[in-house]
Amino acid sequence: MEDFSYQKPKTVDDAREAYSASADGLFLAGGQTILPVMKLGLAAPSAVIDLGGIEGLRAILVTDSVVSIGAMATHATVAASGDVRQAIPALSDLAGMIGDPQVRTRGTIGGSIANNDPAADYPAAVLALNATITTDKRQIAADDFFVAMFETALEEGEIITNVEFPVADAAAYAKFANPASRFALAGVFVARTGNSVRVAVTGAGTCVFRVADMEAALAKDFSATALDGITVATENLNTDIHASAEYRGHLIGVMAKRAVEAAQTKGGGK
Amino acid sequence: MTDVHIGDAVRRVEDQRFLTGQGNYIDDINMAGQARAAVLRSPHGHARINGIDTSRAEALDGVLLVITGRQWLAFGMGTLPTKTGVRKGRNDTDINEPPRHCMAIDTARYLGEPVAFVVAETQVIANNALELIDVDFEPLEAVSDAVKALAPGAPRLWDDIPNNLCIDFELGDLEGTEKAFAEADHVITLDLENNRVTAVPIETRGCVGSYDAATETYTLYNATQNVHANRDMFAENVLGIDKQKLHHVAPDVGGGFGAKNSAYPEPPMVLYAAKKLGRPVKWINTRSDSFLGDTHGRGQTSRVQIAINNDGTFLALRTETVGGIGAYCWTIGPFTPTGGSARTQGGPYTFPAMYYRGRAVFTNTAPMDPYRGAGRPEATFQTERIIEYACRKLGLDPVETRRKNLMPPEALPYMSPMGMDIDCGDFPLLFERTLEMAAPDTFAARADRATKAGRLFGFAIAPYLECTGGAPKEYAGVQFKEDGAVTLAVGSHSTGMGHETVLPQLLAARLGIDFDRIQFTQADTDATPIGGGHGGSRGMEVGGNAVAQAADEIIVKATPLAAHLLQSDAAKVTFADGSFSDATSGASVSMTEVIEASMDQEPGFLDTGATFERGVISIPNGCHAATVEVDPDTGAIQITGYWVMDDFGTVINPLLADGQVMGGIVQGIGQALTENIIYDDSGQLITGSLMDYGLPRADVVPNMVIDYYEGAPTKKNPLGVKGAGEAGCVGALPAVVNAVLDALKGHGVVHMDMPLTPEKVWRAIRDKGAHDPEALMRDAC
Repeated sequence: MEDFSYQKPKTVDDAREAYSASADGLFLAGGQTILPVMKLGLAAPSAVIDLGGIEGLRAILVTDSVVSIGAMATHATVAASGDVRQAIPALSDLAGMIGDPQVRTRGTIGGSIANNDPAADYPAAVLALNATITTDKRQIAADDFFVAMFETALEEGEIITNVEFPVADAAAYAKFANPASRFALAGVFVARTGNSVRVAVTGAGTCVFRVADMEAALAKDFSATALDGITVATENLNTDIHASAEYRGHLIGVMAKRAVEAAQTKGGGK
Repeated sequence: MTDVHIGDAVRRVEDQRFLTGQGNYIDDINMAGQARAAVLRSPHGHARINGIDTSRAEALDGVLLVITGRQWLAFGMGTLPTKTGVRKGRNDTDINEPPRHCMAIDTARYLGEPVAFVVAETQVIANNALELIDVDFEPLEAVSDAVKALAPGAPRLWDDIPNNLCIDFELGDLEGTEKAFAEADHVITLDLENNRVTAVPIETRGCVGSYDAATETYTLYNATQNVHANRDMFAENVLGIDKQKLHHVAPDVGGGFGAKNSAYPEPPMVLYAAKKLGRPVKWINTRSDSFLGDTHGRGQTSRVQIAINNDGTFLALRTETVGGIGAYCWTIGPFTPTGGSARTQGGPYTFPAMYYRGRAVFTNTAPMDPYRGAGRPEATFQTERIIEYACRKLGLDPVETRRKNLMPPEALPYMSPMGMDIDCGDFPLLFERTLEMAAPDTFAARADRATKAGRLFGFAIAPYLECTGGAPKEYAGVQFKEDGAVTLAVGSHSTGMGHETVLPQLLAARLGIDFDRIQFTQADTDATPIGGGHGGSRGMEVGGNAVAQAADEIIVKATPLAAHLLQSDAAKVTFADGSFSDATSGASVSMTEVIEASMDQEPGFLDTGATFERGVISIPNGCHAATVEVDPDTGAIQITGYWVMDDFGTVINPLLADGQVMGGIVQGIGQALTENIIYDDSGQLITGSLMDYGLPRADVVPNMVIDYYEGAPTKKNPLGVKGAGEAGCVGALPAVVNAVLDALKGHGVVHMDMPLTPEKVWRAIRDKGAHDPEALMRDAC
């Protein structure tokens, strides 16, 4: 690991300023991706700006219609939050499935979605629940946020402050984990709000994506059988030593059905 | 006073230290003024080194030393020899042993082979210096697959070694086997792969070396399993010094599994640098480099054939194996695919004839050395898979067929066609008890429940035969101190197994002294005159017997003193339960009192060093059984039940035995389901991190029911023990794999190679079991 300067600002403004002042700075949230990457020498920032000292970025606020999660809230906090569980149980479940206890204790929602790993869990929830990402500059709709592999709509130096999830009528996340890394080989988040259904897939492609055919079928009939015969084109899916595109395509179908079944039985918030 | 006995489940005294961060592992050792080392490793599987320019690295501030392979050779450093016991092949051919230097000389033959060595003031500087070394590599055609390496026209690793063949070994009765094959109702053939794996000890390798100019002595702290044997090779073979000039110590070692047994290249380079620089040098491997340079295990491709009659009687077994051992013979690399995998072929069954042929082949991969079991898991897997496969092909009941062919106790002692002296045991009893524990009468209901949940139920039972003992000689030294302390130094070596508990337990139980007063030392060439280290499940078999022998000698020495204290005659005094007594007078005196008295009379008089040497290796055996459920929609496997009955002879500490069995089973489950070292054709490692190399996680590990049969203590050693350390992963591979295949029988799936990944299972179901049983070895048989 190369030498770097370390700063821990107390406000978002100070963080932004520190970033602008640095030659090649980066923001540190939970560090569950960037620290291993730095240790392997694959990233060598001149300045590390730790967002962990900023008051208020960890807050979780739940109303009847919205779950707002501060960017620096850890996965463990979200998983353990009774308020979140009551409003969107699928979101609690997903947070509790990320990585392992160590990762969940350090990793944050802001860090996860800013990184936009193609196999991360949170992007599926953000996209399927049609969340809004608030930054120090603006609000970004989930549909506009995830651009490509490890790429988001965030601009240079832009800081996520919180993520607002509208409370869905029913939602569930079904994940088939990579046996080695436990990232998603295929993870499907299904959310129904009124007659509108959104289906987001992570782990299978280069970036989280929605499946329009499934959404349309489920909007008409929110049941697993409604998905019979619907397949996902495999040409854009990933192939690696753990799973071929063909297998991932198959898993999307299986996981989507399981998510719908789970959403029907226990996926409704109160 | 803590009173302990043989057979007590004494809890591990070392765990307090290990679990509270107080262990003294290699990276905890720091010496005043130490410099830090880093190794530049080949980024190619096979490449010529046309030149190395180290000038930019040497110019970096803080760099103390840079060594290349050519320089290493110019220093006059020697090569590391192989110690394999198998050196002769078929038709009296000799093993091919290419020279193994600590660094690549002109040619790098595997990804990760050391190319240059850097020492600097700090680790960061050393690491940065690696990037400033300019190596002119000329990539060469590589071959990472052993069967392909044997083929005509394959790239050659060594100019003077045709077909990359290290040794072509055979054992058994070829003629008898061929005759049985000709006469049998059926000959069933199956090619199978025993996937290549790596040990991933929680602690990576590392060492700290220093040199004392005044005494011209080196000291090496090293995360190794084997201080004495490796000292000899580092000192005599590489550095060219008298071995008494190298003090070799292993501190607490965080897991070995065989991978820390070998003589690796880094410690001699560290020692050279320590002398050259006049200051201690520390080197700690990274996890990434561990994947590249630690020895791997298994990695065999085999054709297994069974001759079997219509009624299920086994007539003969024939196995042909090809094992890729990497670019060198390493420490005992050629042994595993040859003699190591030959010995327990056929398991605890009666096979009137057996034949084994094993070829060790050079490949552009990391080296191969023993990995927990070193051939016995391979042999058991081959035997149990061909039995299961033959049963499926011929419509025979796998439980009944196994039962029918198990060697009956009255057949023992028995010299197997593979030369195993099977002295005692009761294979049918262990088989029936294991089956009973698994409760087959509940299978129908369990299968029904699984079906209702959309899953497939499967069951398999897998008896196994082991052979254990490792290096045959071991030393135990006991000293009594005036303050009441008792020191016990043993040359066997725990890398986490609990010797610090069980060997003092044995001494305390045998002498009837306070367990808490015993201070245990191991893995230090100054502490014991000899030492066989760790390997071959030898801890109890030779280490334990050495301790028992020392205790017995102490009792003999103490008897005259006890007689004196009892005002009796030594001939009338007997020792039992920690006390000497005179039956006529009824008087008695405890061993502790006699030890105290010896301090007044003649301190040191009772101190004893005993060397135990075993005869032939012992034959542990047992039976595993597993149930699984498979999700046919995803291919996911869950192991739902696991039962084991082991015959380790006398069990000294059942808690530690449980730990060994459980750990072995988990390692076996890992290999069966998720672990796989994959190289591409150019010799690049595809599974070089824990993101891609699938270690088993807690949630894949089932509850395990473990029991022991102590009715057949071996007479091959005084304690009656048989090695317990490796048996878990011997039985686990076939138990898990055959249970999964049982679950898939309704879908026509007859074979899958490990690891049984979800996609592989899903595809096998989708393809209705379409499978070519002779696909892997067609070009090699």
